[in-house]
Amino acid sequence: MRTIHQLFGKSPFVLLVEHTRRVHRTVELIRPLFEAFLAEDWDKCEVLYGKISKREHKADLEKNKIRDQLPKSMFLPVDRGDVLKYLKEQDSIADAAEDVAVLITIRKTPCPEELKPLVLDFVDQVILTSEELVKAGSVLTELVESRFGGPEVERVLAMVANVNDQEWEADKRQRVLSRAIMEREGELDAISLVFWMRIIATLGEIANHAENTGDTLRMMLARG
Amino acid sequence: MNPITVVLVMAVVAAFYMAWNIGANDVANAMGTSVGSGALTLMGAVVLAGIFEFAGAALVGTQVTETIRKGIVEVTLFEPGGAFGEDGPLILAIGMLSALLAAGLWLQLATMAGLPVSTTHSIVGAVIGFALIAIGPTAVDWGTVGQIVASWVISPALGGIIAAAMFLIILHGILQKDDPIVATRRLGPHLVALVVFLLVLSFIYKALKNVVKDPHWGMVLGSAALLALLAFLLARLWLSPIRAREDKPFNFVEKVFGRLQIVTACFVAFAHGANDVANAVGPLAAVVQIHAIGELPAKVPVPFWILVLGGAGIVIGLATWGYKVIATIGKKIIELTPTRGFSAEFGAAVTVLIASRLGMPVSTTHTLVGAVVGVGLARGLAALNLRVVAKIVNSWLATLPVAAGLSALLFVILRALLT
Repeated sequence: MRTIHQLFGKSPFVLLVEHTRRVHRTVELIRPLFEAFLAEDWDKCEVLYGKISKREHKADLEKNKIRDQLPKSMFLPVDRGDVLKYLKEQDSIADAAEDVAVLITIRKTPCPEELKPLVLDFVDQVILTSEELVKAGSVLTELVESRFGGPEVERVLAMVANVNDQEWEADKRQRVLSRAIMEREGELDAISLVFWMRIIATLGEIANHAENTGDTLRMMLARG
Repeated sequence: MNPITVVLVMAVVAAFYMAWNIGANDVANAMGTSVGSGALTLMGAVVLAGIFEFAGAALVGTQVTETIRKGIVEVTLFEPGGAFGEDGPLILAIGMLSALLAAGLWLQLATMAGLPVSTTHSIVGAVIGFALIAIGPTAVDWGTVGQIVASWVISPALGGIIAAAMFLIILHGILQKDDPIVATRRLGPHLVALVVFLLVLSFIYKALKNVVKDPHWGMVLGSAALLALLAFLLARLWLSPIRAREDKPFNFVEKVFGRLQIVTACFVAFAHGANDVANAVGPLAAVVQIHAIGELPAKVPVPFWILVLGGAGIVIGLATWGYKVIATIGKKIIELTPTRGFSAEFGAAVTVLIASRLGMPVSTTHTLVGAVVGVGLARGLAALNLRVVAKIVNSWLATLPVAAGLSALLFVILRALLT
């Protein structure tokens, strides 16, 4: 009677880490995208949009794969709802990255020269937040080994706190940049202002979703 | 050739086929994980499984064999001068043969259809089946059958509880410690000693009996403890050359448990041999004695050579086909990491050995499934598919009537042919 192997579902945690990487690979492209955008190299923006869209789609496929293998009959070491929420939040990070790329490619929005450093600063901080999440999220498979307990937990909680800190930093830069843009009300046309506000808000969403993902991880650990 | 000789020859063949089937299909569950994790080579697994299955069958197989041979059916009803006159013993022999054939046939069909069917449940159902058609409900010892069925519920549950307890010991004693490497080096040999102690305890009584007439319990415990101490020291030597890569303490823990799991895999093989050999040779034992003394086997003990025959059949099944199944299973259950595999195998082996001692024919696989579920519910597995449990319960409910029906049918045919 060869039944034993049917008891084991594929570990969703291995795939979640894979998803984390795919999402971050999408976010990473935001930096070259903004470089091209600020240089008004619209062709390059198009190419990068294509790449981002492709990577976001791959993350989506990974997400669906994980959802498909987590039917209700699957018993997990942490709350199944938390795992699904984690996945959803994490996927929203890539979604926001793609939204930014869309905003940049649907209109040739100009950027005042003196604001360019502020923009790149903000972009880097957003990417850094996502990077910190990758660090925390990558430990998931090891957490399964210690059943979400032991000294490992403290380490991960510290990493999650780091994600929170970086997101806060991103918020501050977001405010500085938004203000600087608004100070150029007369200089920039109204539509450009609207677009800038939306681009900045959507960039902020990347960091926000990274923070939410980290918080969901914290919830998993609290219940472990 | 007189009818009873025909029955005997057929029963030997059928019992051998059953033993072969058990060796071919069931042993893999014990050894598969160790092969999958790379702790054992396929060859090593086959040799160790062969030794421990055989030892279990020959040394501890008696009680369960007794139950199948004469515990389920009210054998006194088949005495000469009973319901069937002088033919009584022959009818019983035909019935036991039918049970063997029916169980073997059902197992073959179920394996082909990929159903998780238990050898134990098949043979118990088949024995009940012929008794019902031969005489009626009075021919079945419902008290014993009730106990057996209860043991089928209790054994997976107990296996799960013991496995979960072992997992929690490993979790709190090693995995959640500040330094899992140090903790493993300390706790590992103790766990080996525990397994060896229980393993030795289960057969040393019998082994000592050959030397001393009625061994004192202190002597039994003492010798088990002595061997456990020896195992403790050997385990220390055995584990000390394993090196740890500082950055990945869990890899080290799993590597060590990969080795420790070889010990529990042997433990499972031993328990499996002890319990499951009866599925093949229990009915055969009845036929052999009817043939030899022309009477009912109620009082004579099971001859040792029958257990040896069953053990040999299991080993041959393992050597001719089982190794392929081990290789397949090994690839499929790599999700069961050694720490979890150790816990599950420990829980299953202890439970099955207790059942064997009590003469309860339980399903080793179901007990192992229960043990894995226990570890899973203790939140030790990355993902546990509970749907399989429902599937097993269903096949459980189907096996009894199908095996019983098949056995009854074969009995009617064989009786018409042979009497």
